[in-house]
Amino acid sequence: MTAPVQPHYPHPSADDPRIMLDAQIGQYEQVPPYPPRTEREAEFYTLGDGEMFLNMGPQHPSTHGVLRVVLKINGEKVVDLDPVLGYLHRGVEKLCENSDYHHIISQIDPLEYVSSLFMEWAPVMAFEKLMDVQVPRRAEYIRVLTGELLRIASHALFQGWMALDLGGLTPILYSFIERDEIVEMLAAVTGQRMLFNYFRIGGVNGDLNHEFMSRLGDWMSRAAVQHEANIGLLNENEIFVRRMRDIGRVDRDTALRMGVTGPNIRAAGIPFDVRRAHPYSVYPELEFNVPVRGSNGGGDSLDRYLLRLDEVRESIRIIDQCLHEMPDGPVMARLPRLMRPRPGRAWAAVESPRGLFGTYVISDGTDQPFRFRIHDPSFVHLQLVGMLMKDNLIADTMAVMASLDPVMGGIDK
Amino acid sequence: MDRTLRTRLAAKLADRLTGPIRQRHDQTEIRIRPADLIEVMRVLHDDPELEFVILADLAGVDTGDTMQVVYHLWSNKTPDWLRVIAEGLPRGDPRAPSLTGLWPGAEWMEREAYDMLGIVFEGNRDLRRIYMPPDYKSFPLRKDFYLPDDSARGPGGGVRHVEEPYAPLAATTRSIRRTVKA
Amino acid sequence: MTAITRSLGNVSTVGKVVIPLLVLILVVGPLVTVLLATVIGPWVVGVANSNLGILRFVVAITGILLFSIPAAFIIIYMELKVIAYMNLRVGPNRVLPAGAAHSVIAGLKVLTKEDFSPTSADKTVFTWAPVMVFLTAVMTFMVIPFGPGLVGAPLNIGLLYLFAVGGMTVVGLLLAGWSSFNKYSLLGGLRSAAQVVSYEIPLTLSVVGLILLAGTLSIDSIARQQAGWVWDWFVFRQPLGALIFFIAGVAEANRTPFDLTEADSEIVAGFATEYSGMRFGFLFFAEYVNVFIMSALIVTMFFGAWNAPVDINAVLGFFHLAPFWVYLQPGELGLGLLLVIAVAPLLVTLALSAPVYLLRDSMPAWKALVVGFILFNLLVIGALGLAAYIDWDWVAGLVWFMLKAFIFVFVFVWMRGTFPRVRIDQLMGFAWKWLLPAALLNLFITAFAIVILKSAGIH
Repeated sequence: MTAPVQPHYPHPSADDPRIMLDAQIGQYEQVPPYPPRTEREAEFYTLGDGEMFLNMGPQHPSTHGVLRVVLKINGEKVVDLDPVLGYLHRGVEKLCENSDYHHIISQIDPLEYVSSLFMEWAPVMAFEKLMDVQVPRRAEYIRVLTGELLRIASHALFQGWMALDLGGLTPILYSFIERDEIVEMLAAVTGQRMLFNYFRIGGVNGDLNHEFMSRLGDWMSRAAVQHEANIGLLNENEIFVRRMRDIGRVDRDTALRMGVTGPNIRAAGIPFDVRRAHPYSVYPELEFNVPVRGSNGGGDSLDRYLLRLDEVRESIRIIDQCLHEMPDGPVMARLPRLMRPRPGRAWAAVESPRGLFGTYVISDGTDQPFRFRIHDPSFVHLQLVGMLMKDNLIADTMAVMASLDPVMGGIDK
Repeated sequence: MDRTLRTRLAAKLADRLTGPIRQRHDQTEIRIRPADLIEVMRVLHDDPELEFVILADLAGVDTGDTMQVVYHLWSNKTPDWLRVIAEGLPRGDPRAPSLTGLWPGAEWMEREAYDMLGIVFEGNRDLRRIYMPPDYKSFPLRKDFYLPDDSARGPGGGVRHVEEPYAPLAATTRSIRRTVKA
Repeated sequence: MTAITRSLGNVSTVGKVVIPLLVLILVVGPLVTVLLATVIGPWVVGVANSNLGILRFVVAITGILLFSIPAAFIIIYMELKVIAYMNLRVGPNRVLPAGAAHSVIAGLKVLTKEDFSPTSADKTVFTWAPVMVFLTAVMTFMVIPFGPGLVGAPLNIGLLYLFAVGGMTVVGLLLAGWSSFNKYSLLGGLRSAAQVVSYEIPLTLSVVGLILLAGTLSIDSIARQQAGWVWDWFVFRQPLGALIFFIAGVAEANRTPFDLTEADSEIVAGFATEYSGMRFGFLFFAEYVNVFIMSALIVTMFFGAWNAPVDINAVLGFFHLAPFWVYLQPGELGLGLLLVIAVAPLLVTLALSAPVYLLRDSMPAWKALVVGFILFNLLVIGALGLAAYIDWDWVAGLVWFMLKAFIFVFVFVWMRGTFPRVRIDQLMGFAWKWLLPAALLNLFITAFAIVILKSAGIH
């Protein structure tokens, strides 16, 4: 008989470091109430003449999720800012390391809840590399088709958010028309409106059905026209354009050094698109352009906004080709239910609507990955905000952040 | 698989590699010592034949007995992803040089690796916790950190407090079993 | 006495209330009536006569206070519904048909909410700031003529009063922002100070040209000078002035695209961040009252005030007709009038219910009669309204004034649904670099034109 192990809860004592922290509160009056741990923190939390801190979030109308940004402001001017993450941290990597390979797809789904198919795509590709699985061509076409549809939905939502952060009430509801139709369409084939859980290792879960095809045909007949009509409300608006032009300019070198990917790096003038830079799935067989914008060696908020609109046009082209060239055949490879890949490592990256989304998987021969690493583009892009916001106004903080299009679900993992 | 990349890498970095260059699917993998990291990355980034300009990912890995930092790079000169593994960081005091001098964008990824695995990146000027609260003490992605669900499988069989910071568990049988030569 | 108590004990509860009341009415009522007629009445009339100015003021301010609340309710409801339709939504649809009482219920909700004030707030200032904001808004109403003679205080320096009192709003907003002990509120208050003070200048200057033309500061007289056809309105003689006045007015009322003081995506709710309950209600109402005031001012200054766009007398004169009211003289009917009053309701009700009864099989006779009666009432109300419109020029004036004012309210709402927000530096730059020079230019052009026309002998 062994005695049950008592749960160990630490009692406060004199040598408990947390008690020490309380004692130091009087010593360090600035926010946060502990001695600065790094050089950068000490620099940030030291106020200059006429400066004050402004705490935006985690409950703020426009931080795109639960983000907290500490602004150091001088009047209306932002001197510096410090994003504080972690309010949405769920430990997805740890959860994935403790779930089996099939289970991971649904664990990782709600990361970037506006484009969750891409969150499934990268790990599924990585697992396929680990297990040397050949995916049927029809399944690959379906992945591209649904992925590009979701890319349009995500960019439509971006457009609405962008306007909402600049104070425009209406465009987000117009964007939601497109997004809602696409999401309903995908719900017809996947059974879910947001967290699809559709891709499988070796294919997709179920073939395209009649409802999806009829809805898609209906939508495709007006997609391009509808897109042009929706953007007319904003693109011609002088206030909107003036709020975006020359704000948050990222030049080419900074974009590369800061690890920016996706629409944000293309808006800075670098044609880096994983679909072309490192082709995967059936993208090599499809015809589409990689739209690039940016002037004077860099891209501002307006470039980033317009580039996403260009991408929607290209996505419509890709969907059209997919519908014409989709072969018949199975949508799942023949695979055992329990998967124990040989020990090894695999990295796979896809071009999500926000940029390079990658996963790095280490297998140890069991049914669960030994290490599962998620690389989310929004996480990297959010670093830019501090750099871009220096000497701009408070009003632009949210606008610049919106133009980088981060999603806190992905950032906080 | 890009065979030419293999020869190029071998030519440029021959003395700094600690293991063979491995290639599988669309990935090429090299292993180096953490001390050589900055020089190797500089060569990879600046050499006109390599030009790995985009740092796609920075991941910390706890293999059970040592730590690694894994970098994924992209270049226009090769169709492969390049994986650079800086291996052999001692678990007790894992330290690696920071890449923020070359890629300032690595700052947050290094912060994340520090937060989750306790790897200290020397030279990163803002190395503090990024996800967990500032007074948090343990490193959740280490292999000896347990989820509450693991308690049933663990040796004690009881519920462990997740934020138990004072008596870190020794590596248990399960984590030893799962220790691999990653 | 015992008999009375015992018999009172026998009656029901209702009786216990009614019987003493009956006694009271029967005894005290006549007494009071006599007193009123002989002593109090003449005294009141005497006092009122000797203090007619004060009485007029009290009546006017009560009327305006009573008017401002429903006006704000209507504008709030309008904003909810119009923006909803612009957003392809349904909008409020729960209370009454089409959610018509939504804003009233929301107002009641605000009343019942906890009146919270932050710990470190300056309580006195925090409490009085919204009152100040609301009162300045309502005080501006005093000089706005809703119709001919329908003005609270017919000041001959009405415009001066208007800008003086209107400028006080910013003090209230600044106090609200300062006393809340919140950085967002402080930023909102400072923004509003900068914005309202900057736009006050082009707003005032844009009207100076109009003052030169009209030769008066009295709003009432400016309104009267625009009588006649559409092209007699001042907007056609002062187009630039009207445009500047409109833009600056939008900024003064803190509306989109100049709603920086409560930019929800930047500084949460600006000066109103910490307010709740009725204190917030005051700020909220003041915003919408301001919208109405700005629309009313634009209409009064530039869009013909209460005057109809058509000069009805000129039209009648063209056709050699006398005005309607010459033909319609109820007094000339004599005894026939009595007959009409007695018989007409019955006959018209029957006539209106007959087709309903005949055309619908399932309709019982009494239901048809009810429908007929309702139709008759509507008819009478319409006829009375028309008669009032024709007979009393203030009714006609009020109708036209409200119609035009609400068209501008709609424009305000429309802009809210369409535009993004400008940035603070763009806002200030626009005021000082564009609006102010434009207003000055307008002033000089008007002055030159007047001088040249006068020297040429043309009026």
